[in-house]
Amino acid sequence: MSVAWQFYISTVLVYLGVDVMACWGLNLQFGVAGLVNFAFIIFQAAGAYTAAVLTLGPATKGGFQQYLGGAHWPFPLPILAAGVVGGLLAVLVGSFAIRRLRRDYEAMVMLVVSLIATSIATNQVGLVNGPNGLALVPKPLATMVNLSPIGYQWLFVGITALICLCVYWLVHIVTSSPLGRTLRAIRDNEQAAAALGKNVTGLRMLAFVLGGVIAGVSGAILVEFISAWSPGSWLYPETFVYFTAVIVGGSGNNLGVMVGALLVPVAFLEATRFVPQFGPPGFIDALQWIIVGVLALVFLWFWPRGVIPERRRRFPPTTQSEARQPLTSTRTGR
Amino acid sequence: MSEPAGALLAVRDLDRQFGGVHAVNGASFEVPPGRITGLIGPNGAGKSTVLNVIAGALRPTSGKISYRGQDITGLPSYQVARRGITRTFQISSEFAALTVLENLLVAAPSPRGEALWQAALGKRYWRPYEREMVERARQLLARFEMSAKEDEYAGNLSGGQKRLLELMRGLMAGPALLLLDEPMAGVNPSLARRIEQHLLDLHGEGLTMLMIEHELAVVERLCDLVIVMAQGRVISQGTMAEVRADREVLDAYLIG
Repeated sequence: MSVAWQFYISTVLVYLGVDVMACWGLNLQFGVAGLVNFAFIIFQAAGAYTAAVLTLGPATKGGFQQYLGGAHWPFPLPILAAGVVGGLLAVLVGSFAIRRLRRDYEAMVMLVVSLIATSIATNQVGLVNGPNGLALVPKPLATMVNLSPIGYQWLFVGITALICLCVYWLVHIVTSSPLGRTLRAIRDNEQAAAALGKNVTGLRMLAFVLGGVIAGVSGAILVEFISAWSPGSWLYPETFVYFTAVIVGGSGNNLGVMVGALLVPVAFLEATRFVPQFGPPGFIDALQWIIVGVLALVFLWFWPRGVIPERRRRFPPTTQSEARQPLTSTRTGR
Repeated sequence: MSEPAGALLAVRDLDRQFGGVHAVNGASFEVPPGRITGLIGPNGAGKSTVLNVIAGALRPTSGKISYRGQDITGLPSYQVARRGITRTFQISSEFAALTVLENLLVAAPSPRGEALWQAALGKRYWRPYEREMVERARQLLARFEMSAKEDEYAGNLSGGQKRLLELMRGLMAGPALLLLDEPMAGVNPSLARRIEQHLLDLHGEGLTMLMIEHELAVVERLCDLVIVMAQGRVISQGTMAEVRADREVLDAYLIG
């Protein structure tokens, strides 16, 4: 394979890893717990900024970029810190959006939060360098390993894959356990779940924070790879690309969502790269948004459960020894 | 004021206003253990509001609710439920995208594997408890003749089957007090009769129930005690025979 192709494929693989992680995080919130988080992208952005600032080192006075709290943390600390910041931001947003509001209003608040966050990051130049964003973020381990540029690309693919595995483990233990079942129950009917002793607010908050942590980590990997991050990378429509991926793949199914991430943000948006330019400048970019929107609508209309739908859980037949156990009295309280 | 010994649940001077509307206006009554207590009254009498306040879905404007001698006034739903008070809803409230068996498993008391750290310990930690609960759920399904529907999505059940699921889910939680909001609303007469028989069987096993019901014949057959509400107040209580003789009750039902 030529070096150019290797560069292209390794780059696409890292993007795929980032998008798969993000979709798993969003699926945990939206597909499993029913949280309509229209601010999802700001958690990814918060993680990206955190990792960038903690890798760049302290900002120099009069330097070409200004930001708060720079440091030279070694890999993988900036990525872990990004997860923590994503989680803390979720606690902050969740404490007013999830604790107090009904679900439709919750979604509106999320959208507004996303717009406010973009506005702050763009206009408070001292925070994360305003509209120009952060650039020249040093690549992790680049000075420690002595690899050719293409070798380094593949190393990064490996790092991304490893972190993907960790994220998968996290979402899997949630979705495959009684915790996941209870979250799905809350998604279907909050009042009934509360009447069965489920701390609805606490559990939804848990799903929201876990999704925030995962989004933060995904943003960190992206910024360490592309070395730059600006408000243009995380406008609110990006959230809808992830929503479309989750819906197309199969909301509530981790494997389906992975396929969705492969189909929508990666395969579809990469494919349009090869479409010859036509129409006025920026026409194809605009068309992309329209097609992503139409894709979401078509799936919601015709295949609302996605390419690989949420799995129906069946339980093995009861064995003899279990069947002989007496029925616990319905009278005993807790 | 201390409630007399023996009452499982005591409601004192309960008040609940919605804006200017006084839905419940100084209601007081008791629920003795081991009995089916009926809560009746014309539409708008405040029965459902009382049930919602007891279950913690609504906070009372004033008044006090004690359960087993403990003050539970204003506790959120999930804490009321964890103390052993389980309610069913007037409108079926199944978890539509979960199977019937899963619906029951969600209700399992003090579940294992529902906290993140427990889930992280893996299947080996929570599986044995879950197997026990699956078995318990299957016994309930057999009892209510719903075994064939075990793997069906709850959202696909018929209206009557949803009512049965609602009741089974409430029982799965192992309540000490079951609050029933019109458990036979909108079901055909033969299923209504079956539900009635199930409630009598549960009564025979000693379960305490507080039930809202419109059909007075049903109340007469099932309930040891009846509380009559009208316009937010308790206007009469006693056995069905005593209540029937009460002039005020007749007026309330006729005038509404």
